[in-house]
Amino acid sequence: MNKNYNFAFLDEGSKREIRRAALKAIAIPGYQTPFGSRELPIGRGWGTGGLQLTLSLIGPSDVLKVIDQGSDESVNAVNIKKFVALCTDVKTTTDARAATLIQTRHRIPEFPLKNGQILIFQVPIPEPLRVVEAREEITKKMHAEKDYAPMWLQLYESLMKYRKITVSTEYPCMVEGRYMMNPSPIPKFDNPRLHKAECLYLFGAGREKKIYAIPPHTEVVSLAFDDVPFERESFAGRKCRLCGSANTYLDEIFDAQTGGKFYQCSDTSYCQEVRHAPE
Amino acid sequence: MTLPLTKKHAFDMVFDSQRVFRLLLEAMSRPGNIVDIGEYAGRLAGEEPAFLAVAATLLDNEVSFNAGADRVLADEIAALTLARREELGAADFVFTRGEDDMRPVIEKVKCGTPADPHKSATVVVLTGAPEGTLTLRGPGIDDRRTVLAARAVGEAIELRDAQNYEYPQGIDLIFISRGGKLLAVPRLVKVVE
Repeated sequence: MNKNYNFAFLDEGSKREIRRAALKAIAIPGYQTPFGSRELPIGRGWGTGGLQLTLSLIGPSDVLKVIDQGSDESVNAVNIKKFVALCTDVKTTTDARAATLIQTRHRIPEFPLKNGQILIFQVPIPEPLRVVEAREEITKKMHAEKDYAPMWLQLYESLMKYRKITVSTEYPCMVEGRYMMNPSPIPKFDNPRLHKAECLYLFGAGREKKIYAIPPHTEVVSLAFDDVPFERESFAGRKCRLCGSANTYLDEIFDAQTGGKFYQCSDTSYCQEVRHAPE
Repeated sequence: MTLPLTKKHAFDMVFDSQRVFRLLLEAMSRPGNIVDIGEYAGRLAGEEPAFLAVAATLLDNEVSFNAGADRVLADEIAALTLARREELGAADFVFTRGEDDMRPVIEKVKCGTPADPHKSATVVVLTGAPEGTLTLRGPGIDDRRTVLAARAVGEAIELRDAQNYEYPQGIDLIFISRGGKLLAVPRLVKVVE
């Protein structure tokens, strides 16, 4: 462990502020609690919100997993994991079932998460209403007044133009019937996993200085119309070329040489687990 | 003659406060789960170590607190955390005893605004031994959950509900026994029959 820094890099005052914000966020599910985002040795927009939550939560007995778009091995995930390990000495893992803390960029692991696990999202734009209103002052007021009409209109326009809702990631949802929330850019495939989950979800937006949360067993409903139900991406007829799973979120990979397309699990550790599982 | 320097508290501000925070996080995200911070509270010397453990974990010079008429407790919290004293209506954290009259406390503490519901008080109540059961319902609870609770828990929730806050405004309650058993009841969690 690098002893030149405090345990988990952040000073205790910073951790305490983030901890207070996290507790308030849990008490008001879906509400974006402001906090004083700290400087970190990685740039804003590279997962500093999630990282600050991880650093404020982590203790010596934790086991950490970090994923980026489902992969344990991409640059963002590897570096964040190395950094946290360097300043805490905690054990790291790729196994979603063995981890107590999972920091994620844009995916929820395929293995259902359990009681005792905490999933921490890196959030680029926490404000679901930003696509319809640019001013923070106004979106804050809209949340206060539960005025979500412009967002509904946006979805309706999408339906009129394209005959379906074209939002693929950051699909907005309502938390406990009160707050509209941006689930971070997870594919809408993952949205149903937020509803009445067993684990705690924490969301950190470092650049936008917001923390929000979904406690376990909380109602999270993806926006939909009475006559146009919410739909996930469909991978009907396709399966992972490596493990053969047909029920996971698949990445489409394009081979420039042959022009062929193939599909494989976005969650790499799940894919490996399936491949190595005894028959 | 020089006396050796001795620390008043054995509480580790880095590792013990991390443990207490994770237990608080557990209690707050799963209301009805009673967590035990007694081990960490035992490392603090003072009138009410259980209060001090929560204070040491969450308070610092950026927030304010109110400890009612208890000057000794207020002095200890201020010395330990450097948090500033504030009158009841404006304090971020309020420490009160369940055996005292909680009505003026619950009626006066701040409940946030519709735009800034996080600018509300967290009320920490010291309770006695469990006397009965309460059934809780709300986010964090799978359907409903029955807990053994001290008399003050039901009373405080009743007083809170009588305020008829319009959600998202509200106050969050943390109940803690002298032994360090901690139960959190965030604003959305209600008592059901």
